[in-house]
Amino acid sequence: MVAKFRGPGMYRAALGTALGTALSYAIIGIFRSWYGLDPLFKGYAVLELSLFLAPIGFLIGLGAFDYWFRWAAGRPTIPDDHSSHGAHSWRDYFKVNTDHKVIGIQYVVTSFVFFFIGGLFAMLMRAELAQPGRQFVDPSTFNGLFSVHASLLIFLFIIPVFAGMANYVLPLMIGAPDMAFPRLNALSFWMLPLAGIMMLMSFGAPGGSFASGWTAYAPLSVTAPEGQVFFTIGVQFAGASSIATALNFLVTIITMRAPGMSFFRMPLLVWANFSTSLLVVIATPFIAVSQFMVLFDRALGFNFFNPTGGGDVLMYQHIFWFYSHPAVYIMMLPGFGIISEILAVKSRKPIFGYRMMAFSLLAIVVLGFTVWAHHMFVSGMQDWIRVPMMITTAIIAVPTGIKIFSWLATLWRGVLHLDTPMLFSLGFLTMFTLGGISGVMLAIIPVTIHVSDTYFIVAHIHYVLFGGSLLTIFAGVYYWFPKMTGRMYDERLGKLHFWTTFIFFNATFAPMHVIGIQGMPRRVADYAEQWAGWNMAISIMSFFLGLSALLFAYNMIVSWRGGPRADSNPWNALTLEWLVTSPPPIFNFDAIPTVVGGPYEYGVPGAVHGVLKGAEVPQPAGATASGASHGSATKDQE
Amino acid sequence: MEAAGISAGIALDHHDDGHDDHHHGPPPANRSSRVSHEVLGMLLFIISEIMVFAAFFAAYFFIRLVAEGHRWFPFEGYELPVAIAGVNTAILLSSSLTMHWAQVSIKNGNRFGLKVGMVLTSLLGATFLFIQINEYIHIGFSPQDHAQGTIFYGLTGLHGAHVLVGLSLLIIVTVRAFRGHFSPEHHHGVEIPGIYWHFVDVMWIVVYTAIYII
Ligand code: HEM
Ligand SMILES: [Cu+2]
Repeated sequence: MVAKFRGPGMYRAALGTALGTALSYAIIGIFRSWYGLDPLFKGYAVLELSLFLAPIGFLIGLGAFDYWFRWAAGRPTIPDDHSSHGAHSWRDYFKVNTDHKVIGIQYVVTSFVFFFIGGLFAMLMRAELAQPGRQFVDPSTFNGLFSVHASLLIFLFIIPVFAGMANYVLPLMIGAPDMAFPRLNALSFWMLPLAGIMMLMSFGAPGGSFASGWTAYAPLSVTAPEGQVFFTIGVQFAGASSIATALNFLVTIITMRAPGMSFFRMPLLVWANFSTSLLVVIATPFIAVSQFMVLFDRALGFNFFNPTGGGDVLMYQHIFWFYSHPAVYIMMLPGFGIISEILAVKSRKPIFGYRMMAFSLLAIVVLGFTVWAHHMFVSGMQDWIRVPMMITTAIIAVPTGIKIFSWLATLWRGVLHLDTPMLFSLGFLTMFTLGGISGVMLAIIPVTIHVSDTYFIVAHIHYVLFGGSLLTIFAGVYYWFPKMTGRMYDERLGKLHFWTTFIFFNATFAPMHVIGIQGMPRRVADYAEQWAGWNMAISIMSFFLGLSALLFAYNMIVSWRGGPRADSNPWNALTLEWLVTSPPPIFNFDAIPTVVGGPYEYGVPGAVHGVLKGAEVPQPAGATASGASHGSATKDQE
Repeated sequence: MEAAGISAGIALDHHDDGHDDHHHGPPPANRSSRVSHEVLGMLLFIISEIMVFAAFFAAYFFIRLVAEGHRWFPFEGYELPVAIAGVNTAILLSSSLTMHWAQVSIKNGNRFGLKVGMVLTSLLGATFLFIQINEYIHIGFSPQDHAQGTIFYGLTGLHGAHVLVGLSLLIIVTVRAFRGHFSPEHHHGVEIPGIYWHFVDVMWIVVYTAIYII
């Protein structure tokens, strides 16, 4: 029994959580007795500290830091015997695992769990909104529902699910055996479920869950009941996780590409994650700081956002949006990468304008930092900021437009294979373009002033996030499902999933443009009688949309358990991940492959992107000798 | 704090190339860049750190120049101890020199220089923190009093937290140095905390200039 608590694992993690909480009591007790405060243990102070210390205790207990502790003390580190590589049973997914393929699956599955929870909240909201007046939940619960819905789907689904998919395929695509910092990778994953659980736990807080939206504007977030800090602190863990992963991606991409893979031979998914990671590294600290400031104002009475003390309320919005506008691209660029892969493979043509595709990503990274105040047109900020922000916002649509036209030109005269990943990609193209158009409309100040805080905004964000990001996520999951699981999914169910999603998505969100322009306010549980008809229709359609997601879940679970075996390259794709078996061998490659051409030479006779060592293309001597011995060793192991 | 977790991750994540001979492992990755993982990781992490400071400087800018009735020290009898902080600046900057000395020493195989350099650097860093805390005790206003106090404590405290993280890294290096680690060939463990420490020092110059001088 004692041994269970000494070795890393869930038991010790539970112990760590308990110790973290106890430590919070102790620290608060000591400080308050020092200052002679009464009562000794103030509830909210202990809560806020333990929201930091309990998760850290959990991570230490789980074993995420074991190696570093030994290293720091100068003791001999336990050589990594790679026993933690690969997963042999489902239990291995509940451990600190350093294999990027295991971590990728941990990420994707965890994010989808939060996707379904967040989706459930959306169903509850639509039930409430089906009719004017009050049906199922009271207004403050409703505020909590939309806040937790948005926060989960943004911070625990879209951002991490992209990181998870890239975690799985990116090292394979560049011919690397793993990520640059495998232990850091494991730590980044394990911070995520903690952040999500924290946000969900807020429903148990006195005064209900946090209810100030995913934007958590001050001063509302400073004065809101305690549920708010579950967001404030949960975001810190999600943010730390994404910064750590982004560093990992950048270092992996820069230093671990296979021989012959120059920057302009990288698949666009790698380019997309390179750009996204730059955005994360530069922007995410801003949301971390904004939430720390809220926490200090709340817990210790600081004056960052307190106007009577000389603080500035609008400052919150500036700092928040300086992160959160780039964040909308953090939520979209990896999807651009997925679509580029799929469209080229499924239309059997090289990507049109490969270099323009790469440069437009970098242009978005730069321009993304120049438009933040377009979220503040009606906030009462200085007037002179408005027009420059309107102009930059219109300009940033240009690189995005370049990408759309490149994709269309890639399709032009291609041989289109309309299977599930391709359908989702085409669905993305159309829906995201509509979302982009409503975005440019919102960039125009007079329009924005009219529709700010109405359902028009809700329509816009869902066309870009659901019709944009989520459709690329579905496309990517179907596309790499054979590689990740070694099984084929059910194509008929997949197509049914696409068509139901596509139809009910439009039926749900398109009408919101109309009621938005008519002035129906967002983020309110009740509305005027005039919109009753529209809302009833929207609610019914949204329930069908919810059901369509269940088709996806069913297909994934059943196919993973019993789908037909997938061979190594079911799509006839060129990129490196398809050179190895499905699922890939434990160390990805027996020896690092060599890249000899571009990634998208589809339809070019005889074109190859990469070759495995020992395959046709002769290799210089020396390198092959060790490669061969490694190769046989792996085969023995299998 | 999140900074601590990540920086530890970057600085301490370690290759185990050396063990590959003893058991089967992954094929060694191709090196497509001359920069090492650890150095590149630390440099990128420092970009994130700079942005953390940038967000606080944004708050400084708003409080000092934009907010209603904005003003700056000295006002209503509140004054900042420019001279003492200046001495403290000198202390921190000299710690960068001793750090550099330690780094050069181990590159030349001078283990004694490494140990003395690390001990001196850690002591100077600790002295800086001590003087800083002393300044807090005697300064006569609190972050609760007004936004100027908030951002004063905010920026110097943020920097102090970084000194604390850096100091922890330095102590780890010192312990390892005394336990016989590091050699002219393997001194990443000194170099990377060193980069971080130099960053913390340079950042102080910016903070000092913004808060005390201009
Ligand atoms: C051509 C590209 C785009 C333009 C010009 C654009 C423009 C805008 C503008 C001006 C607003 C502010 C509306 C207001 O509050 O009055 C807005 C809101 C928003 N946009 Fe976009 N957008 C674009 C693409 C995207 C993308 C790709 C995403 C995410 C994947 C996105 C996500 C959002 C979100 C989440 C909001 C609402 C924020 C809130 O909660 O208030 N947008 N957009
Ligand atoms: Cu924006």
